[in-house]
Amino acid sequence: MRVRQIVWNKRSGWTAASGESDAAQLVLYFGGRDALACGARYEELRNMFPAAHIMGCSTGGQINNDDVSDDEIVAAVASFDATRLQLSRQEITDPRRSRDYGEAIGRALNANDLAGVFVLSDGLNVNGSELVAGISKIIGSDVPLTGGLAGDGANFKETLVGADCAPRARMIAGIGFYGSAIRVGHGSAGGWDLFGPRRHVTKSNGNVLFELDGEPALDLYERYLGPEESKGLPGSALLFPIQVYDLQRPDSAVVRTVLAVDRETRSMTFAGDIPQGWSAQLMRGNLDRLAAGAADAARQARGGLGADDSGQRFSILVSCIGRRLLMGQRAIDEVEAVGGELGRDSLRLGFYSYGEISPHEKSGQCELHNQTMTVTTLAEVA
Amino acid sequence: MYKLLAQQIVKATDESGSLDLDKFSKLVIAAYEEFDRDRRRTDRSMSLMIEELDAVQRNLEQTVIERTKELRSRESELQAQNMRIDAALSNMSQGLAMYDADARLVICNQRFISMYRYAPAEIRPGMPLRELIRLRVKNGTFCGNPDDYADDLYAKIKIGQATGQFAELEDGRTISIARQPMPGGGWVATHEDVTERRQAEMRIAHMARHDALTDLPNRVLLRERLGEALAHVERGQRLAVLYLDLDLFKNVNDSLGHPTGDELLRIVADRLRGCVGETDTISRVGGDEFFIIQTDVGGASDAERLARRVAEAIRAPYDLHGHSIVIDASIGIALAPTDGSDANELLKNADMALYGAKADGRGVYRFFEPNMDARMKERRALEVALRRAFENGEFELYYQPVLNLDRDEVRCCEALLRWHHPERGMVSPVEFIPVAEEIGLIVALGEWVIRWACEDAAKWPDDICVAVNLSPTQLTSKGLLPAVLGALASSRLPPHRLELEITEAVLMQNSEVTLRTLHQLRELGIRISMDDFGTGYSSLSYLRSFPFDKIKIDRCFIKGLGDSSEADAIVHAVAGLAESLGMTTTAEGVETRRQLDLVRDLGCTDVQGFFYSPPVPVRELTKILAEKAGRKTAAA
Repeated sequence: MRVRQIVWNKRSGWTAASGESDAAQLVLYFGGRDALACGARYEELRNMFPAAHIMGCSTGGQINNDDVSDDEIVAAVASFDATRLQLSRQEITDPRRSRDYGEAIGRALNANDLAGVFVLSDGLNVNGSELVAGISKIIGSDVPLTGGLAGDGANFKETLVGADCAPRARMIAGIGFYGSAIRVGHGSAGGWDLFGPRRHVTKSNGNVLFELDGEPALDLYERYLGPEESKGLPGSALLFPIQVYDLQRPDSAVVRTVLAVDRETRSMTFAGDIPQGWSAQLMRGNLDRLAAGAADAARQARGGLGADDSGQRFSILVSCIGRRLLMGQRAIDEVEAVGGELGRDSLRLGFYSYGEISPHEKSGQCELHNQTMTVTTLAEVA
Repeated sequence: MYKLLAQQIVKATDESGSLDLDKFSKLVIAAYEEFDRDRRRTDRSMSLMIEELDAVQRNLEQTVIERTKELRSRESELQAQNMRIDAALSNMSQGLAMYDADARLVICNQRFISMYRYAPAEIRPGMPLRELIRLRVKNGTFCGNPDDYADDLYAKIKIGQATGQFAELEDGRTISIARQPMPGGGWVATHEDVTERRQAEMRIAHMARHDALTDLPNRVLLRERLGEALAHVERGQRLAVLYLDLDLFKNVNDSLGHPTGDELLRIVADRLRGCVGETDTISRVGGDEFFIIQTDVGGASDAERLARRVAEAIRAPYDLHGHSIVIDASIGIALAPTDGSDANELLKNADMALYGAKADGRGVYRFFEPNMDARMKERRALEVALRRAFENGEFELYYQPVLNLDRDEVRCCEALLRWHHPERGMVSPVEFIPVAEEIGLIVALGEWVIRWACEDAAKWPDDICVAVNLSPTQLTSKGLLPAVLGALASSRLPPHRLELEITEAVLMQNSEVTLRTLHQLRELGIRISMDDFGTGYSSLSYLRSFPFDKIKIDRCFIKGLGDSSEADAIVHAVAGLAESLGMTTTAEGVETRRQLDLVRDLGCTDVQGFFYSPPVPVRELTKILAEKAGRKTAAA
């Protein structure tokens, strides 16, 4: 496998692409919604790499090795020696059918030698948990499934996904890696700290949370955020992720992140389900521990890769927009921490997302995560 | 250099390598602002968290206080409950003991301790059942092997079986013990002293099968015993059933009252007990009726011997509250298997035999005979006919004149009852009077006789009186006096022209009541004579007990006159005795001139008999009296 990066910025356009560019099989690119929306960047990439599957999405910031930026578009251009690729996409007409779309993608990509799937999805018009469940159901839990939900900065207005087409809203795309040569390592970790009392989900419906301990959920968040930061809702709610779990099954704990708030009903919509009757606890981030979490994810990905790869490695970093909002300029701390684990010389590209997709560290079951850093590392063996 | 600062410098440095100060300062300011916001957010969230945790803690404290209060109140409630349970346990009339799965005592109440005479100090929770039983062996309330007892009990409890038993204690108490297994092993046992209840039950069971008055087996037990005895008959043994009743027992009740009658029955029962063997059964089946099942019977003669023994025992005089009473028993005997081999048949046949005995004049025993059935039917027919005869006026009075030897004239006529049966013709009083007594017709019949005798006599010459026989039943009847007064009044016959004849037997039964009645009659001016003298006990004390006007010497003495010097002597003595007591004497059954001459010589004052005149209807008597009167007038 050979991989390199190219970058686009407003002033200079794409950095030069060299040599075998036209033979590349895969281009993954991430950029701000404004930069991608016109479709021109996709056309430029398509011209540069006519044989490649070109897949990308809008973000809440791009990760380019040790840097985090908002105004660039970053892209990875990859050629594989012994790995076949296949791309599938689904248009979202009804978010409630998220599981069906997942199953459709799973069916399109499923094969005996399927070695891994990387998924990008619209970040607002989808139930990420259902989507992941749909794909997993078809391809099984043995095939690593990673990816993320597209972002829109802290705006939560529109997210775009492109897959051999110009980026557009309401799109889900998945690319499958086939054959025995490809290796897919993955890791996911948060590093958030639980704080405050344990609360009880007294009223909820699917992914809409109404009350905690009998008090409107939005009241609680507004109190913790204060008047100023409350103005930034729903984005500012990402500063206080929430962990929910069934008291009877503590290993069921998942972190949920807010997608929207309803000031009328005082409810909040999360990226995954908040079952009524479960327990919930607020979380807060400490910069050092969030960075340590990111490093942990990188370690997991590296560890899952095995030691027999000989060529280049390429890592896709999908981190949560909530982490970026909290860390601000210090977001570089977590991408540096990942670099520290994976090696400064291995290519690391990625984006800040509205949801991360990766197998659970312990159960192996693929899930939608929030507020985590997820790392997918690709390599080929000879 | 600080990592962030280095990054900011990189970001603010353009491609030519010069630092854009404006951009750099913006980055630095933004970083400070980020730090400020983060710090404020952290401060805010920390203080809110503290507030929240504080509230949670307060809630917890409040909850702890409430729960503690609740627990205290529950605790005191439990204590009260325990006290109530204690009180309930202590006041239970039953003993209660609870054991755990290892058969160790968990709890017991005071009653349990006292019931088994434990010393309170020796009983403590945790004691094995075996030990409790061993203590009972020591204090004498248990005899048996404690280990066997305990092992047997464990075995039953182990399979979850509720058990119950009656424990008979050495001191005679009966304890009812019920054991109920408890969930999770162990059991609870209740002990109740049922001694009195058991005794009462036994008494009731006894009463159900025994006669309350005599404590003899009643008809129920009689049937059981007879059934058992008949089972032996099937194996070749024999038995006899004796059915007896007391003759004229009703008179005792009527004249002396039921308490005296009951006393008599008790004595009869005792006497019967003395007559029978150990394996025999005596049963009182009602009134004055008794059955005896005689087992171990070789033949009819064994039953006969017993019947004689019984009759003799019953006949012996009774002293009841100062009254001397003599009573006879009639006995019917049926033998098994000869006269039947099932209970019903035997009892029926014994009844028939008794009926036969009564028909034969009472005071006798009779064996069952196959023709008794026919005789019984005949007797029933006689009873029916007798009742009808009274209603149809089939009775008539005959009169036999009594001749005064001194004056050679009729001074008195004895009224004698005759029954003209429409089919059988004249029926003898010997045959129907006992039946009339049996069926209770005798009093009415007696009154009828007195009334008509008075009516007839009133038409006779003034110096001739009428004699009427009184039966013992009549004499004890409360209706006698009014009947006599009524007859005298309606006939206008002066009392001194009425003579009432009684037999010794009358005096032998209930003599006190009888004597009182006789005195009352005599005070009215009615004459009383002693009939058939010499046939009963011939006790002179009877003569002393009442101032009779006349003694009638029984015909059996007259018959023997001239042939035996004994008869002569007796008649002479009686006549002499009577004379000395101021009584007249009538010789009965004088049939010849020679007898007449003899009795005159021996001192009798009057004669009665066929020699002078047989009993005749009133019309013929009138003629005889007229003839005599004519003769007398002519002689004058």
